[in-house]
Amino acid sequence: MRANRIFLVAASSLVGSLGAQQSLESDYRTTGSAVTSVFEAQRAVLQTSSAVILDGRKEMIYGVVISADGHILTKASEVADLNKLSVTVDRTNYKNVKILATDPQWDVALLKIDAVGLVPVVYAPTSEVAQGTWAVGNGATSRTKRRALAGIVSAKIREIPAAGGAALGVVLNVKGKELGIDEVADGSGAQEAGLEKGDVILMIEDTKISKIEDIAGVMKDRKAGSKVKVVCRRGKREFTAEVRLSAKGEMFTDTMNRNDMMSGDFSKRRSGFPRVMQHDILGSSRVTGGPLLDLEGRCLGMNIARANRAESFAIPVEDLKALAERLMNQAAAGEKPDDAAVTPRGEPQ
Amino acid sequence: MCLACRFVHEMRRRLLTCLLPALISCAFAADDRPYVNDKKAPEDRKDIEAIQSALVAALPQVRAATVCIELKEGSGSGVIVSADGLVLTAAHVSSGVNKKVTVIMEDGTRHQARTLGLVADTDAAMLRITDKGDYPFVEIDRGNSARLGDWVFSLGHSGGFDKHRGSVVRLGRLVRIANTTLQSDSILIGGDSGGPLFDLTGKLVGIHSRVGRQLQVNMHVPMSVFLDNWDRLRAGEFIGDGPFAKKPVKGSGFLGLATDARKEGGLRVTKVGNKSPAQEAGVKEGDVLLTLNGAPLATRAQMQDLLQEMSAGDEIRLELERKGKRETLTLELGAR
Repeated sequence: MRANRIFLVAASSLVGSLGAQQSLESDYRTTGSAVTSVFEAQRAVLQTSSAVILDGRKEMIYGVVISADGHILTKASEVADLNKLSVTVDRTNYKNVKILATDPQWDVALLKIDAVGLVPVVYAPTSEVAQGTWAVGNGATSRTKRRALAGIVSAKIREIPAAGGAALGVVLNVKGKELGIDEVADGSGAQEAGLEKGDVILMIEDTKISKIEDIAGVMKDRKAGSKVKVVCRRGKREFTAEVRLSAKGEMFTDTMNRNDMMSGDFSKRRSGFPRVMQHDILGSSRVTGGPLLDLEGRCLGMNIARANRAESFAIPVEDLKALAERLMNQAAAGEKPDDAAVTPRGEPQ
Repeated sequence: MCLACRFVHEMRRRLLTCLLPALISCAFAADDRPYVNDKKAPEDRKDIEAIQSALVAALPQVRAATVCIELKEGSGSGVIVSADGLVLTAAHVSSGVNKKVTVIMEDGTRHQARTLGLVADTDAAMLRITDKGDYPFVEIDRGNSARLGDWVFSLGHSGGFDKHRGSVVRLGRLVRIANTTLQSDSILIGGDSGGPLFDLTGKLVGIHSRVGRQLQVNMHVPMSVFLDNWDRLRAGEFIGDGPFAKKPVKGSGFLGLATDARKEGGLRVTKVGNKSPAQEAGVKEGDVLLTLNGAPLATRAQMQDLLQEMSAGDEIRLELERKGKRETLTLELGAR
């Protein structure tokens, strides 16, 4: 994030200075059971319409049920590396999970389970609700029961530009007037497009490339999620690849600032979204992927990132509906899923 | 009464006069207290909607008075409490007395400001916007009326000013109350420091100070700390000792140049330190320093004596002669 200085002092000695003063019992705090129990109607919606994505026995993340016959949207980057993918909806665990399609720009995957009679979310009419409006999302879950956490819509709907700008996802070296690829970042558009170490980049779109500044010039006004035509040379062969751009700050080690350090865990992919609504609900990155509900239990959006301890992002309902439709069409047309983004990559480190 | 809160207040008063006329006579500061605060937890849809409607109604006015405070080192938050531009913030944000800072309004308008006093041991500070104007401001809870469990909301420029995002609002309850600290579960992060904590009527009850690792640990300075020290803060006093602001130490200021006295008066600059405050202000080798804060300079010892009385962060005015022309530079002393 763009925080350049942290004024909050996270020193336990200072924080502890309250001593044995008046204190509110934890049940009555905003995330306590006495408060969350008033959101039972919304919790009941999460119970049937928010899927739990598991890796083996471990609950990893949530999903949004969008069809009665088992279509579920979830956060793509969080399921890409899972080996024993299964999905729980309500109390039933489904083992046979297919990843039908993904959208790298929104970081959303469309999953399919063999189910009938599921209860899809009901979309809210608009995401343009007043700031300060209640919103409800997933808290931690047990095997049988979903939990709800409530918070508020807390900032303007807006784009979250790619951290560090848009990039191909390669490390380059300069050989005279040529730029050779030294390294291809894991999960990058360059990797998906099949670029390899040793390839020489000759041209991007209509710009001839002979120095690093040429690439910077081409990237300056482009956005993560868009694609560029890259002309490369491998050995004696020239070829053109279409490369998806993604956030530089998230492909290469994202340097932790002090806000990150005080945030607990945050989503690995938390920037480069075309449009998000912001709220204050999520307590950890593991509760992303599920629906964000209004008090009527309707889906305002889909939780897509916990950016830090105070800021969480959801895909607004309008964009979510369009995205769901696009992914369903893509799946129906039998397009191959985006291999690099969905193929399990062996044991996690 | 504060302009920013008049609407909310009047709306509430109107409601109360028809619903609860008895309360007004018996309870000071209870005239606009939302009923939901007196429940241990909200019980039904009506209760949570009462929280929401109060917050949504109060938000636009108090947000207009919430500001980002930009310093050389980074940014914090603050809140305007008077039409002529008095701002409350945290001591570790202002970090000193009589320093130039920039205040950024919600719409991105920037104003010059100068820090006034601070309380170093409880993290309270005041500053004044020096650009003349009629500023939106909030009302301070003077009656110390906030109670344990009350619903509150935070505003602040989390992580710095972002025009497309605006200030960020978060809801919570007061979970601990002590003399010089309030704790809420309205979640804060860096950049929020100095920002306001409001009750549901939009009255200012605290200023954001610090957080613990747990999400529930978000600390605010209560209004009583500001009110108890009000006149001294306005007068620009440095009150208390550490940990939130360091008292200026005389002689700690650093200018970063070497000089030789000139026969006809003034000091000729013989060397300017790389990246020193002098270099950053534009002092060049060969310049002749004529006065420092108006005092004519004749010997090196005399300039050293003057600097010895000042501290890191102090602003100085240097009058100098360059190629026959006179110029005046203003710069802030660095830390030695």
